Amino acid sequence: MNPTIDYHALAPEIVLTVTVAVCLLVDLVARRSELVPRLASLGVLGAIVPVITLSVDGANRTMFGGTYEVDNYALVFKGLFLIVAYLTILVSFHYIGEGDYYRGEFYVLLLTSVLGMTVMASARDLVTIFVALETITIPTFALAAWRKHDTKSNEAGLKYFLIGVISTAVMLYGMSVVYGVSGANKLVGIREYLVDTNEPALFAVGVFLTLVGFAFKVSAVPFHFWAPDTYEGAPTPVTAFLSVASKAGGFVALITIVNIAFFPSKGSWQPVIFVLAAASMTLGNLAALRQTNIVRMLAYSSVAQGGFMLVPLAVAADVSSNSAWEGVVVYLLIYAGMNLGAFAAVIAVARRTGSAEISSYAGLGRTDPALAVMMTIFLFSLAGIPFLAGWFAKLVMFRAAFDSGTTGAVILGVVAAINAVIAFFYYAGVGRQMWFREPDPAVERTAVPTPLTLNAAMLIVTVGVLALGVYPQAIARLGELAFTPG
Amino acid sequence: MLQRAEILGVRDFYRDYFAVAVLIGAALLMVGAMLGAGRLIRPVRPQAEKYVTYEAGSDPVAGWGQSNARYYIYALLFLIFDVEAVFIFPWAVGLEGLGTFGVVEMTVFIVLLALGLVYAWRKGVLRWA
Repeated sequence: MNPTIDYHALAPEIVLTVTVAVCLLVDLVARRSELVPRLASLGVLGAIVPVITLSVDGANRTMFGGTYEVDNYALVFKGLFLIVAYLTILVSFHYIGEGDYYRGEFYVLLLTSVLGMTVMASARDLVTIFVALETITIPTFALAAWRKHDTKSNEAGLKYFLIGVISTAVMLYGMSVVYGVSGANKLVGIREYLVDTNEPALFAVGVFLTLVGFAFKVSAVPFHFWAPDTYEGAPTPVTAFLSVASKAGGFVALITIVNIAFFPSKGSWQPVIFVLAAASMTLGNLAALRQTNIVRMLAYSSVAQGGFMLVPLAVAADVSSNSAWEGVVVYLLIYAGMNLGAFAAVIAVARRTGSAEISSYAGLGRTDPALAVMMTIFLFSLAGIPFLAGWFAKLVMFRAAFDSGTTGAVILGVVAAINAVIAFFYYAGVGRQMWFREPDPAVERTAVPTPLTLNAAMLIVTVGVLALGVYPQAIARLGELAFTPG
Repeated sequence: MLQRAEILGVRDFYRDYFAVAVLIGAALLMVGAMLGAGRLIRPVRPQAEKYVTYEAGSDPVAGWGQSNARYYIYALLFLIFDVEAVFIFPWAVGLEGLGTFGVVEMTVFIVLLALGLVYAWRKGVLRWA
């Protein structure tokens, strides 16, 4: 009765687990603290190798009685999470290294969270999804409060922790109702139940509570209020990680659970997602307009971007092909890149001026043109200017909304279009500061060079954003692959 | 899974939870009965000392007391091995069937958990100073 275990399929997770253990031990004995981030980045790159060999192999591998599946969908996201993890290590290398303490633990916690994400991409039952989500979230509570002696960082960690606990409680309650009604724990089982049975009203309650839990995790309006404070107080590399990787983790869970389990019960999930999408776009953008701190602006912008991502999900039930699902995945992949780039640039600027106020960006085009060009590319990509990757993300989102053709979808499309215009103003506002304003003499600048790792991360993202802008077929193909059975 | 869904319909679901409601009701009733009986039977002779908070025999300190943060770390360490025990019990029951595979898997699990203890030890958390 030995369970057969497909070690090839589990290789990314095994490599990450071993890396976490080794990092922890090395940190205890090594005198040179930069050894741990180096090992961590090697481990992440090592975990990408089996993801590549598995996608070349292409077969669907189902394990543990169907609760864990390694298919194209899972591999696309595992690839994304590992690349984001690698870039986060690059971005944080000097930031954490120049802080005063606990360098090793930072990477141990970071990789543990990434391990949860790779599990999440494969999770196909409620319990595994829950465990994966908690593995993602719990290390990030500590990461958000990393700067122990900074009250803002402590506030960030505490807020994030409290919200995390509340959202988990709400989501678990929802999941328990879903399980109680359907009698199934596996997502496929819930779907079968919905197809065969006329589900009772109670099922909708379960779906609602589960989705509210996820809405907290992906900071969708009206469950977003923790995000700006947490993002502002947390160390900036952690903010980048939270706004990209953690958010993507929540989204992957949402896509998996809606696509596989709740899908037939359209009436129970579609209205919820619809409202979340419209509210997140509108409130996120309006609040971002008024921000004077760039991290808070990016926090609200990421709330709004989350709203854009929910648009294809809200109309997915009315689109006959897979294009809406592909739209969510494509948007998520592109968003991850450009948002990470923007935060990397924020870190680079803060190294010079020690400030995250938008006013301190005045004249950056003159003092550091290369950095200003990259920042402009990231912001314009987030705004969706043509021939940058973000443009294609917006395109697939609008295509999904207008493909479905229902009145609701068109209304949502129009709301999204208005919001895309609003968003342009605050992204361009930073651009105006950088290029059309004189440098503020009151802001003290230090001439410290930007570290190589930070530059490398920004350069990788810049190349990606430009390349995908002119050749979006590559990412569209990935989106298609994700929903093609192997 | 499907058969289970049919057996366990929503009405049965509520019936299951009716049992929970009965249990809660019984618990409330029992506590009420015991406290009520005490109130009826006991003599009432109030003294100031009787109203002082009991704190391990010593006089309580006024205002907010601070509990030592070290207790918290020990509670955490205890929790690690508490969870370990939860997993080891069912494993031990099925060990004969699992054979070498089971031993290897559990060794990996315990080693990973022990890493936490090694970490705490190296960081000097275990020293009470």
